[in-house]
Amino acid sequence: MTLTHYAFSSSYFMSFLGLIFYRKHLLSALLCLEAMMLILFISLCLWGLILASTVFSAGPMILLAFSACEASAGLALLVAMARTHGTDRLKNLSLLRC
Amino acid sequence: MNPYVLSILLMGLGLGTTVTFASSHWLLAWMGLEMNTLAILPLMAQHHHPRAVEAATKYFLIQSAAAATILFASSTNAWLSGQWDIQHITHPLPTVMITIALSLKLGLAPLHAWLPEVVQGLDLTTGLVLSTWQKLAPFALLLQISPEIPLLITSLGLISMLAGGWGGLNHTQLRKVLAYSSVAHLGWMMVVMQFSTSLTALALLMYVIMTTSAFLTFKLLKSTDMNSLAMSWAKTPSVTALAPMMLLSLGGLPPLSGFLPKWLIIQELTKQELGLVATVAALSALLSLFFYLRVCYCLTFTSSPNNLAGVAPWRLESKQISLPLATSTSLSILLLPISPAILSLTLPLF
Repeated sequence: MTLTHYAFSSSYFMSFLGLIFYRKHLLSALLCLEAMMLILFISLCLWGLILASTVFSAGPMILLAFSACEASAGLALLVAMARTHGTDRLKNLSLLRC
Repeated sequence: MNPYVLSILLMGLGLGTTVTFASSHWLLAWMGLEMNTLAILPLMAQHHHPRAVEAATKYFLIQSAAAATILFASSTNAWLSGQWDIQHITHPLPTVMITIALSLKLGLAPLHAWLPEVVQGLDLTTGLVLSTWQKLAPFALLLQISPEIPLLITSLGLISMLAGGWGGLNHTQLRKVLAYSSVAHLGWMMVVMQFSTSLTALALLMYVIMTTSAFLTFKLLKSTDMNSLAMSWAKTPSVTALAPMMLLSLGGLPPLSGFLPKWLIIQELTKQELGLVATVAALSALLSLFFYLRVCYCLTFTSSPNNLAGVAPWRLESKQISLPLATSTSLSILLLPISPAILSLTLPLF
């Protein structure tokens, strides 16, 4: 595994752990999700550069467009949750247990 | 909902699954999965009450994490092998990561904890879309990747069957019962996937038909609770007579059509010398059968002179179109005698 591959693999796993183990706010989970998407964007750019292949040059832009849509959907859900539950704290997400 | 917005969302849902079915590149498959997620989120949150928003938030976080993991695993495979083809994943690590991420998307145990809560927070129509249509695209991807570690697939299937059976035992909310039944059926589909992808597709098709019938029945009876099923004899006696048949078909009893996938899966497992897996699968079907029987009991055996569990409802005329319910209930009860015809149609395809 090259150094570049190790760098973006470990940073992806760090953000994924940040998404899984988030503590208080939903916004921190959305931030970790955005970090994951950014790392994937960087890895797609680097893949084309290191393998010297231009056939997939549009890939990072497509990923960026879709991850922007997903981020805006996440923020809309954050606003909806602030409207219905009052905050974005995760302990409040307990209505569906019973 | 505004009909223009609703039509755009439904077309987005259709397009997302179609794009994933038609893709041979992992980025395109990921795009189709993301389109499905984004299109169903407004449908989930359309009623703006706290349970719907909570269900939509949990669904969004789970599906985005799973889709990002799929893309990370496929980009790892691209780094290691130089190509993005779906059917040519060579390295075992990306294969395992993609399998686990797709099982998180589907709701296979041990990654099934989000499914009952999310289905509980939705109305019955959106729950139907979630349980049937949203399962098609991840399965299209799972059927194409060749499993590197057979133990992973078999154990995902077995744990799903047992978790779906045991988890659904102590619930009174019908949507949670249907969510656990979905987990159990997904387990049946997974356990045979490495031997015969056409049997997985057949099991998926039968599951879609039976779950459609179940959700549409509960929508017609306007009941989300087992107690409110008790008055269904007053609303529509014919549905009260046929719904137990459909629920027993979900449980996999012969001579109903739900028996067909279970029978063929156990036959295939026995042929592949996995007799213990087949035995555990058959015994775990008993667990699911218990809670289906409990729903049948609430439908049929709680009428006078026994005590009634529900309150007598207003008998208003139902405006639901009855053709989908009639079609799916007939198919979920009567398909077993023509099973050679069904097998000749589905087996050569996959």
